Amino acid sequence: MDISSDEAEDWFMESLNTYKDLHVFQLEHPTKVIEWTGDKCICVAGYTGARSEILELLLPLKLYAGENQGLCAERDFKVQHGGFSEEPVESLIHIPGTRCVVTTGSSSSALQIWDIGGDDSDVIKRTGVINLKSKSSKGSKIAPGLTDEPAVLHGSCISEVQLTEIATGRVLYTVAKESSDSVSGLQFVNACVFLICASNGTLLMGDTRDPSTCHYPLQDSKSGLHWSFGLRSDRSQSEPSCCTVARLSSSGHMLLSDLRDLQSPFCQTQLNVQHSTSKNDFLNVSWAPVLDRCLSVSGFDGTVHIYNTMDWSTEGQNPQPVFSHRGHEMSHEAKYSGSPPVVTTHSWHQSRPKTLLSAATDGSLHVWDWLDKITDR
Amino acid sequence: MPDIKITPLGAGQDVGRSCILVSIGGKNIMLDCGMHMGYNDDRRFPDFSYITQNGRLTEFLDCVIISHFHLDHCGALPYMSEMVGYDGPIYMTHPTKAICPILLEDFRKITVDKKGETNFFTSQMIKDCMKKVVPLNLHQTVQVDEELEIKAYYAGHVLGAAMVQIKVGLESVVYTGDYNMTPDRHLGAAWIDKCRPDILISESTYATTIRDSKRCRERDFLKKVHETVERGGKVLIPVFALGRAQELCILLETFWERMNLKAPIYFSTGLTEKANHYYKLFITWTNQKIRKTFVQRNMFEFKHIKAFDRSYADNPGPMVVFATPGMLHAGQSLQIFKKWAGNEKNMVIMPGYCVQGTVGHKILNGQKKLEMEGRATLDVKLQVEYMSFSAHADAKGIMQLIRMAEPRNMLLVHGEAKKMEFLKDKIEQEFSISCYMPANGETTTIVTNPSVPVDISLNLLKREMALGGPLPDAKRPRTMHGTLIMKDNSLRLVSPEQALKELGLSEHQLRFTCRVQLHDPHSDTDTLGRIYTHLKSVLKSYSIQHVPDGTVIVESIVIKVTSSAEEPNLKVILLSWSYQDEELGSFLSTLLKKGLPS
Repeated sequence: MDISSDEAEDWFMESLNTYKDLHVFQLEHPTKVIEWTGDKCICVAGYTGARSEILELLLPLKLYAGENQGLCAERDFKVQHGGFSEEPVESLIHIPGTRCVVTTGSSSSALQIWDIGGDDSDVIKRTGVINLKSKSSKGSKIAPGLTDEPAVLHGSCISEVQLTEIATGRVLYTVAKESSDSVSGLQFVNACVFLICASNGTLLMGDTRDPSTCHYPLQDSKSGLHWSFGLRSDRSQSEPSCCTVARLSSSGHMLLSDLRDLQSPFCQTQLNVQHSTSKNDFLNVSWAPVLDRCLSVSGFDGTVHIYNTMDWSTEGQNPQPVFSHRGHEMSHEAKYSGSPPVVTTHSWHQSRPKTLLSAATDGSLHVWDWLDKITDR
Repeated sequence: MPDIKITPLGAGQDVGRSCILVSIGGKNIMLDCGMHMGYNDDRRFPDFSYITQNGRLTEFLDCVIISHFHLDHCGALPYMSEMVGYDGPIYMTHPTKAICPILLEDFRKITVDKKGETNFFTSQMIKDCMKKVVPLNLHQTVQVDEELEIKAYYAGHVLGAAMVQIKVGLESVVYTGDYNMTPDRHLGAAWIDKCRPDILISESTYATTIRDSKRCRERDFLKKVHETVERGGKVLIPVFALGRAQELCILLETFWERMNLKAPIYFSTGLTEKANHYYKLFITWTNQKIRKTFVQRNMFEFKHIKAFDRSYADNPGPMVVFATPGMLHAGQSLQIFKKWAGNEKNMVIMPGYCVQGTVGHKILNGQKKLEMEGRATLDVKLQVEYMSFSAHADAKGIMQLIRMAEPRNMLLVHGEAKKMEFLKDKIEQEFSISCYMPANGETTTIVTNPSVPVDISLNLLKREMALGGPLPDAKRPRTMHGTLIMKDNSLRLVSPEQALKELGLSEHQLRFTCRVQLHDPHSDTDTLGRIYTHLKSVLKSYSIQHVPDGTVIVESIVIKVTSSAEEPNLKVILLSWSYQDEELGSFLSTLLKKGLPS
């Protein structure tokens, strides 16, 4: 679907009413990762082409100017640090409390460890690798450990998931479950409890103090679907009971579960989105860190949809998003890539309630602050 | 070894004082002559002591080139040419030549009249300086002197901005000044051909940024104007007439039309006159494509924008006014500002940089109380918005430009080395070229390896090939003889005969004759025969002939035998050879002196 320049113009004009702030950037190479490395910095990395750049970007200062926003003309991203990766970067995570990030490639047999660097140099240097036992063709998924000693939870299929200490390479924990199901995502709920979501939608909950895991397959799993998950945890409490898990399938099916009862999701719904048949796993579901019970979804096309799940009944059908960001489709310039862009990833700002960042296959990177038609007027 | 030396002048690493010295092929060129806006003392001028400790600069510089009219690129020009002293040519494009003096005069007025400074250039100095200017056209090669030539390329950025190629013989340097690689509404993107300069010099100021799109900046502008007008407020937009104003007007006009807005938009009369002037300059400057879109709409017939009258400022209700001058330092824009500043519903939008000492600069620094003439204080309650519309190339843009020009080396100025290592690595890896980042005052020397083309005459080539022996091996050098003629900037290798002919000289032949005495009882003829046999056995690889007329010839050497009637056994061997066969001739005479075998 080609966007005419009139339609694009209309959308930009409309945006005066629908967005508080809007910034549109063009990266040299598209990214499928946006990872926060500080209050005001993110890391992005290329995934196309043999040699990829990893960049740490400082967000436009205008966003942080507060009352003096008018006096700050600074709307640009600043490249704080940059480095080169020998392989395309599929995932990138930041280890909290450090200047360390870990990356994976699509079929590599190792995790790369990097030091983003401080004030004395702007080069991101590789400081080590974690070699993986298996040489599986599917890339590993990674998640930062939440303990004091930097560690990374990783695995490409469930039986290979392990927790490795970064400094020493020592394996701290291995999942005991025999399963060749491929991992779609994993995340720690607190220092010890973690959750794994398999591509077929199965959830696994484990505890690093105990090798056994609890296994929650889907009630009626349809083959051919790929599932992704998003975990919402209330940061002020580390009790697993305060967590909600959202699972999203490539056909737009959404399941919300409470960590206390992962067997039966408390809400099921079908989003009104195009079925994603792409091999790329751009599917992304994230919970808003500040807004209550809001989540966002992307990866089906060039749009990011925001939903308020409070309105969802236990068996809702086709809920409407409270906001849809169509910026990537609308500001897409054919010269950067022929086909319409697909959003590769998105991320919520950690403290500004309605600010998000999103990236697409055409190399675009947007920062936007949307207006709720009902509450913001 | 031939080399090119580049020195960015001045102390400190800050942006805001572009002035770069280039030494190439024995010529010295100054690129830009900017003022640092952050200082009030001599630190704002480039450090010319690098060129000479005291005295005028004329004999040390072959020319000065100014890339565009922004003060951080031309602000120190009158100081340099009139107060330090320089009488040589100053090159800049036509629009830059037209706009520079206006900006310099404005700047002078603010600095001297408002701030009361004394060590500053005068109005007359600006005029005298501009008399030395030689205007440039795009893509036109200009001979500064017999050896130095320069050419301007379109840089985008602002009206009249140029990138410049400087060439001496086969060595060249390209300086970008400020440029942008993404086109906007009225200024296209910079363009240069694959000129492959030895060095490409560029600012690094924005090299580590990723620019927000033009559309989003415009959106922000429209949003702010709209919000103010919606709440009944007034918007003041101080503009420098020649530049942003027209673009913002078109933007507002389109917006007003679309949203069906009724609030009046005004354009102060001073602007219209200057805008006409700008328009004429502009139309000759831009390329075909942009010219067409601009000509399609008459720049001064806006449906929603009308000429301003002083009295309108007191009218109630919302309105938008474009007024000069751009930094709120005097005139109409300042008058309107004074009237509107006290109301928080109003807004002032500053579309660009303001020089220290102006009201614009003060309010952009957050000042809420201003001291006016006669000790009156002005409370600044209106909303102040600072927006930057200027077009600069970012990290991606620099890579695009390098791809276009294909330089052999890259040089970045005005950056902090430790904050640019990643960019340096990136450039070096992607293009396999060296990237230099000198600090101000530091000289970078780049060794060039210019090839000198020499034409070789066909005759000479044929002759060399006819010499026989094995064909030349491409991997092994072989000595070749010829004459090099340097004439009219061309070099030719020709045979000596041709050279003599061209020079109108006749060739002289040198021949040596030597007599060797020999005791031999045979007849003259027999002796000669014996000499022939002897030589044949010694000189096996040479061509030796026994000619019936009584001579033996070895290569070009002629041997005859005579004897006198009185002493028939005392033979005299006559050897004669030409200069070229000196070695062989000497050898033969020495050999024959030893006598013949029996």
